[in-house]
Amino acid sequence: MTRSKLISGLRPVLFTLPAMIPFAVFWLAPLLYVLYLSFTEWDFMSPEKTFVGWENYTDLLSNPAFYKALRVTVLFCLGSVLPVILLGLGLALIMNKKLKGSALYQVLLFSPWVTPTVAVSIVWSWIYQPEAGLANAVLNFFGLDSIGWLQDPKWALTGVLLVTIWKSVGWAMIFYLVALRNVPSDLLEAGELDGASPVQKFLRITWPLISPTTLFLFVVQLVSALQAYDQINVLTQGGPSGSTRTLLYLYYQSAFESFQIGEASSVAVVLVLICMLLSVLSFGISKRTTHYQ
Amino acid sequence: MPIFSRISGLVHQIFFAALALLMAFPFYWMVTSALKTNDEIWRSPPTLWPEVPLWGNFAAAWNEAPFARYMGNSIFVAVSIVLLQSINSGMMAYALTHMKFRLKGVFAGVILFGYMVPATAVYLPGYLVLSELHLLNSYAGLILSNCVSIFSIFLIRQAFLQVSHELVEAGEVDGASHMRILWTILVPVTRSSFAVLALITFIDQYNNYFWPMLITKDPSLQLVSAGLRSFFVEGGAYGLKWPLIMAASAFTIAPLLLVFLLAQKTIMQSVNMTAGSSKG
Repeated sequence: MTRSKLISGLRPVLFTLPAMIPFAVFWLAPLLYVLYLSFTEWDFMSPEKTFVGWENYTDLLSNPAFYKALRVTVLFCLGSVLPVILLGLGLALIMNKKLKGSALYQVLLFSPWVTPTVAVSIVWSWIYQPEAGLANAVLNFFGLDSIGWLQDPKWALTGVLLVTIWKSVGWAMIFYLVALRNVPSDLLEAGELDGASPVQKFLRITWPLISPTTLFLFVVQLVSALQAYDQINVLTQGGPSGSTRTLLYLYYQSAFESFQIGEASSVAVVLVLICMLLSVLSFGISKRTTHYQ
Repeated sequence: MPIFSRISGLVHQIFFAALALLMAFPFYWMVTSALKTNDEIWRSPPTLWPEVPLWGNFAAAWNEAPFARYMGNSIFVAVSIVLLQSINSGMMAYALTHMKFRLKGVFAGVILFGYMVPATAVYLPGYLVLSELHLLNSYAGLILSNCVSIFSIFLIRQAFLQVSHELVEAGEVDGASHMRILWTILVPVTRSSFAVLALITFIDQYNNYFWPMLITKDPSLQLVSAGLRSFFVEGGAYGLKWPLIMAASAFTIAPLLLVFLLAQKTIMQSVNMTAGSSKG
């Protein structure tokens, strides 16, 4: 091979290195490392990591705390993703009509998404304050009893979910607005001429055409629900009595609070597997059911 | 019919005005609570506007913890990450869209795979890797560990795919190097995508909490979310300093709301693009 050929062969590699090196060091290596750690027992301090095979996994699968966290994770995902998508779509449908000041409304509805989760969660923790908080003052105003928003295991998850939904709903709405504007109006007019009712028009024309957006929002929201940490950390720290402890939070606590590195790693691997499964599934579904223009 | 449509328009207006107020109310509550005295903030039922607004609470909160330092850290780290991500996403996207090489498929696959792996799940081993590299507790660690984003690569790749090949071929005919084609032809044409990358990445990194908190224990390196959170925990979880905590939250949020107001159009446009790049 001549020198110039070698150089031109190497050039594409040089272009990819600035991204691939950090990617390998901070993503791939940790991923393989966590897989390895999940087969060991280690407390962070001792020099030795003991290889224990599948023990961490069998322990995990026989641990009630794991199933509780799994249950909270599923509830958290459903309780945040579905309302965000439905409310976002509903708002976008109403706002899609000509409306004065809609630019201002969009900015107001979108602003929670831009702001730091930690800061807004602190504000919400004041709103949820049991004695002098706004949330209970509103309930009392309507003649209802106060709720221990973040102190009562029955309500804590709802409290965290409300903040999560509040933060994302405007964001989902903007995505749907863009999608709705891209629905060709001649299709809708043709539907109208055929005598379709608004509901029929929505189900037969609009909904299929905006399905890529729905899928996109579903996947993105699901993955971010699986990774939710900031608002849980500020509002409840996984409590009371584990009622808001998701898999990710369990992972964090067993790694950085009780230093059970092996156990924590096995939780991380399970989490990665869940995310990959969901991504692959949604890719599959998107190939079958979504309509791209 | 016109009367009917006018009424329905009015109903829409009222509905949205009410909804927007409801959504924005936590922000209003934050600012007005920041202006109250401690006694007033604990009063039940709560007052909608403070009797005597104490604007000095903002200065008091600002001086009680090193917020200037925290915000400076956040802005510096976020801007550095934006610059690095623009460079490596541009180069990577160029290689993926305008160059032919054997490993292309492998690289594209690896990146797609990275898309499916939640970043938070690899925080523990990532922490250990950073510690091996002696990058814990350093700006370099904060910046380098975030300097690649798969979202950014996707976004730029998508933009490059839409640039006509004739433009690039014209450059090749003129004998321009790949670097020249990338920076003088492709980047200017796709600058709106780079603007989106910069905005979204800046917002994400300024708001970043979990990972920076894990890898920096030194308070002088804390980013603003972590700084605010320690102020919250140390200063007043027991209700001693709620007005100051609300004031601190307000100036933590303020720069982002400002960026958002100035760059609304680009951010709204980003929605179009991310929705587009998700199809890729």
